[in-house]
Amino acid sequence: MNQSPLPTQANAAAAAPAGLAARAAALVAERPTLALTGILALLVLITGLVEPNYLSVSGARNTLLQAAPLGILAGAQTILMLTGGIDLSVTMIATGSAYVAANQSAEGAVIAIVLGIVVGLVVGSANGVGVSVFRVNPLIMTLAMSGILLGLFTAWAQTILQGSTQMGPFIKLIGGGSFLGNRIPYSVVVWALIAGGLIWLLRRTGWGRLLYAIGDNEIAVRLAGVRVWQVRITAYIAAGVLGSIGGILLGGRTGAVDLQLANAFLLPSVAAAVIGGTSIFGGVGGYAGTILGALILSVLNSMLTFLNVGQAIQQVVYGAIVLALAWGYAGLTRRA
Amino acid sequence: MITTVRSAGVALWRTGLARNTWTLGVWLLLSVLLIWYATLIPVFGQFQVTSISKNSLPLVYLAIGQAIIVIAGGIDLSLGALLLLTNALAARLMDDQPFAMVLFIAIVLIAGLGILNALVGYVISVSRVPDIVVTLATGYIWSGFALWILPSPGGGTAPEFRWLFTGAQSGIGGTYVMPILMMAVPAILVFLLSRHTRIGLSIYAIGSDSVASRLAGLDVRRAKISSYAIGGAMAALAGLATVALTGTGDPRFSVGANATLNSVAAVVLGGVALVGGTGLVLGVVAAGVILIMLNPILSAMGIDPNNAQIIQGLLIAGVMMVGGLVTLLRERSA
Amino acid sequence: MSESQPLLATFKVAKSYGSVVALREVDLAVRRGEIHALLGANGAGKSTLVKILAGVHPADAGAVHVDGQPMQFHAPAESMAVGIATVFQDPALIPDLTVRQNLQLSEIDEAAFTRWLAWFDLDVLDFDALVRDLPLETLRMVDLARALARDPQVLLLDEITAALTAEQAERVFTLLAQWRERGRAAVLITHRLAEVRRICDRATILRDGRNVALFEPGAAPAGPNGSSTGTMFDVGEHELVEAMLGTDVLDVEEKEESNSRSPQQPDSSSSSEETAFAVQALTSADVVRNVSFELRRGEILGLVALEGQGQERLFSLLSGDRRPTAGEILVRGSQRRWRAPSDAVADGVVLIPGDRLLTLLPNLPVRQNLVVPLFSRIRQWLRLPSDERQRVMNAIDRLSIDTRAASQVRRLSGGNQQKVAIGRWLVAGFRTLLCFDPTRGIDVQTKHEIYALLRELAAGGAAILLYTSELAEIQLVCDRVLIMHDGCFVDEQDAAHATESSLLTAAHGLEVPA
Repeated sequence: MNQSPLPTQANAAAAAPAGLAARAAALVAERPTLALTGILALLVLITGLVEPNYLSVSGARNTLLQAAPLGILAGAQTILMLTGGIDLSVTMIATGSAYVAANQSAEGAVIAIVLGIVVGLVVGSANGVGVSVFRVNPLIMTLAMSGILLGLFTAWAQTILQGSTQMGPFIKLIGGGSFLGNRIPYSVVVWALIAGGLIWLLRRTGWGRLLYAIGDNEIAVRLAGVRVWQVRITAYIAAGVLGSIGGILLGGRTGAVDLQLANAFLLPSVAAAVIGGTSIFGGVGGYAGTILGALILSVLNSMLTFLNVGQAIQQVVYGAIVLALAWGYAGLTRRA
Repeated sequence: MITTVRSAGVALWRTGLARNTWTLGVWLLLSVLLIWYATLIPVFGQFQVTSISKNSLPLVYLAIGQAIIVIAGGIDLSLGALLLLTNALAARLMDDQPFAMVLFIAIVLIAGLGILNALVGYVISVSRVPDIVVTLATGYIWSGFALWILPSPGGGTAPEFRWLFTGAQSGIGGTYVMPILMMAVPAILVFLLSRHTRIGLSIYAIGSDSVASRLAGLDVRRAKISSYAIGGAMAALAGLATVALTGTGDPRFSVGANATLNSVAAVVLGGVALVGGTGLVLGVVAAGVILIMLNPILSAMGIDPNNAQIIQGLLIAGVMMVGGLVTLLRERSA
Repeated sequence: MSESQPLLATFKVAKSYGSVVALREVDLAVRRGEIHALLGANGAGKSTLVKILAGVHPADAGAVHVDGQPMQFHAPAESMAVGIATVFQDPALIPDLTVRQNLQLSEIDEAAFTRWLAWFDLDVLDFDALVRDLPLETLRMVDLARALARDPQVLLLDEITAALTAEQAERVFTLLAQWRERGRAAVLITHRLAEVRRICDRATILRDGRNVALFEPGAAPAGPNGSSTGTMFDVGEHELVEAMLGTDVLDVEEKEESNSRSPQQPDSSSSSEETAFAVQALTSADVVRNVSFELRRGEILGLVALEGQGQERLFSLLSGDRRPTAGEILVRGSQRRWRAPSDAVADGVVLIPGDRLLTLLPNLPVRQNLVVPLFSRIRQWLRLPSDERQRVMNAIDRLSIDTRAASQVRRLSGGNQQKVAIGRWLVAGFRTLLCFDPTRGIDVQTKHEIYALLRELAAGGAAILLYTSELAEIQLVCDRVLIMHDGCFVDEQDAAHATESSLLTAAHGLEVPA
């Protein structure tokens, strides 16, 4: 075309001192999921060294059983983080849905699950309306919602939701059971279906395009003729439903449900999305990375359990690794 | 001449009022709640004032620290964990020590946690990882340390130290002078620091527009680190107040996580926008007290305290929705 | 020695942002007592050079010398410390602090600042007003006064006159003349070549990250400038433009110019007289008052106004971003009440805003930027149009968008960003196009491409309303032109006979002599 010889990325990289490290860094920067996969493999190997039995079908199954609910909750965060939002109520949604599903188990699995998901629909809509119509900061809206839900369910546990806190057999099977000779957990199948759906939504639909666009520049999207509030509300509803599904699976795994059920998953759900490369400011990221993030955190959890170091050290190591991964990620993507 | 001066003074007052409506509103809300509470219970006196003010101390301190960090454009999800860490360290170190030693430990802890959190601020500014992510991770680390130092609830402190924060050596009853003094002095100090010193103004500046701040020649990194240092020191103060209040240490993770979330709630209710650059520390003090007061008010009304959670959530969401609606309508009509 | 030594100099300075090279090798020498113009088309590297001199970004290679001393700036504060004061395009003032607090932060002597404010007739400024509440032109003057109060050796002014009134600009010129007298130096970046000819002593021209020419006063040989008050070299504006663009580019552009003129005549006659868009007695508070006009299919209606006459508000009413307090908007004869831009877009009325920050998704690729309007309805959400890719490629081809930095739109040059903003509506389709100053701050070549495109769109039946701050565009592109003053339409002229002087006269609210 014209004569100006702007170096393309390829020959700029070639011109750079061709150290192996530099080339590896460039490769990783271009495809961050490769680095995440590498870290995941490394963690699996280390865990295998700590506990040789871990490198087996049952080890993998246990990790996946842990990762499935986390991955689904982190999916909710991914959707919202892409729009520049966040959901601090997602674990209360999960807990509430599981509680409702357990309480209604006598009505049959279908009704129990549907009623559980209704919790996510309702709460997600409320969050969405607060954030998009009343323009409440998402952090605050969902934080307040989390408090409201905790209060409501604590009160309801004595009144309208009095009674069974045991999940029905079908939900227990889906949440904790496996098939093919106890190899593949059902919850992983659910997760895989959800993952496929999410990746399709984010990459191959207009809605997905709009999520990224809103996260990058909301005003531009509004001026382009999109009703931004519609996109936001649907995003919060989707996150609410994912929260419900994650909660019901988790409840199925533990069998009995209490109001602390999903509490411990709040920060990991955000951390999994962040480690997977989704920006908390919106516009950047995707679900494939989040899946790897959820797997990494689950393997890490198993490793720390096998090491039997006690909860204190577990927390320290967990925090340090989340920080290191986020830092490394930021460094790599900035260089690109 | 005199009239023009006076009208200029009036105008200044008016703009002052207009710009600080939110702060005044929160204090007004606090006064109304106090009066209401006084009419709800048979006897309202020193005991109630002492109880409300001393129970508010940890949250108020934490919220002041959070406010400074939020004003600088950040957010610190590890403040509750820093509270835990101080709480554990103090309960461990202060147990059976004389008052002078306890005071020394307290001062070292405040300085140390300030430096520790300044380091976190430095990491955020160097790594360019968002504040929320870094502090999420450091929150785990600090609560891990807290648990390591104090594996189960225990430890203690000097009775005089308890008197310092609660007005009674036993931590029960006592004079309201001490807790109110202990609330007012740090609050006013941080307020003056934030509005009337160059470092305070630069904290507002980087939260308002960090690019313009840099272009105007400010040291953005130093301001950021300062805000985190103040946040860490205030979290340490909150941890010390917790020791004084309970007379013991409690390293449970959930205590820290709840404290963090409450501090964010108080900051927002107190009129500090999460985008940074605006709001006053004084409003946050009132908001912190309000959040603590809801519990006694509800029990005085005969409502199950579990509902305090709901009311608190509805209050925060409601206030923010009204705020959002007001801006929306103002934009429409402008 | 110091006579010949430049006060501020760069040697072979280079800078790239990722894969985009902004500066390849730039030499600049600014002497004491001179006003030095820094010129170039968009993307030539002017702003990057200013940022390096101001300490915003470090240079990748090359050297910066101040008074003969090599310097390495890591932050703007360091550049200020050696006597360089910069006034950026966006005022470096903190919106949530008062003017006084801003001064406190910059450690500025209030007395000196007040003296400079008085010089710009701004002594009425309330120091306790929040910066957020002050208009942009005031802020630019405040920023300039603050820079001057630092008593710098070198003043870097990036498009200082762009947001100023003619009177204020005049003050700045007088100031610069005095500045020269005092033996200080200034670097002036501007798109207004008349200014350069009037007040600058020398001009460095950048193109594609290199310096391509240095214009000096022909008369004076080597040595210090005399004590001349008004100077300027004998080169014409045409020569400056030629140097900025390169000769071959200029040829293309002139060809295009002739192309774009020719279809105008047959076009206006062939277009149907159907009214696409009309406005009756439109009012918005005191800002837009009782405005009426009709816009026909195939027509380009120009709009001319001085800064701040209500044109921004008018466009936000016309694009559905704001609701009028009174009056009607009619699309193809039927009255519309829009609640949001989405309603206007649904009626085929689309906006290209003046501020590109309002329209681009800076961190997303060109393609994602172009397709946003395709999903404005919920029923379009769950799929992608099968021809999405094709439509995007067509728009990119038609606009000849340079997609070398396509992975993030913020890395594109200003001209290419504007093309993306327009391309979005080529992909989505529209009937009425509202363009707010689409060529502001864009290089000449892209300007002419945009003119040609607008004419082509009109010939295809679109109705276009074009507000422009460049009066020369009116004759070149428009069929009719409306003139707005103080919120009202004060005049309508036939674009073919509208001269810059007739337009300016009307824009000042004066009677145009018949």
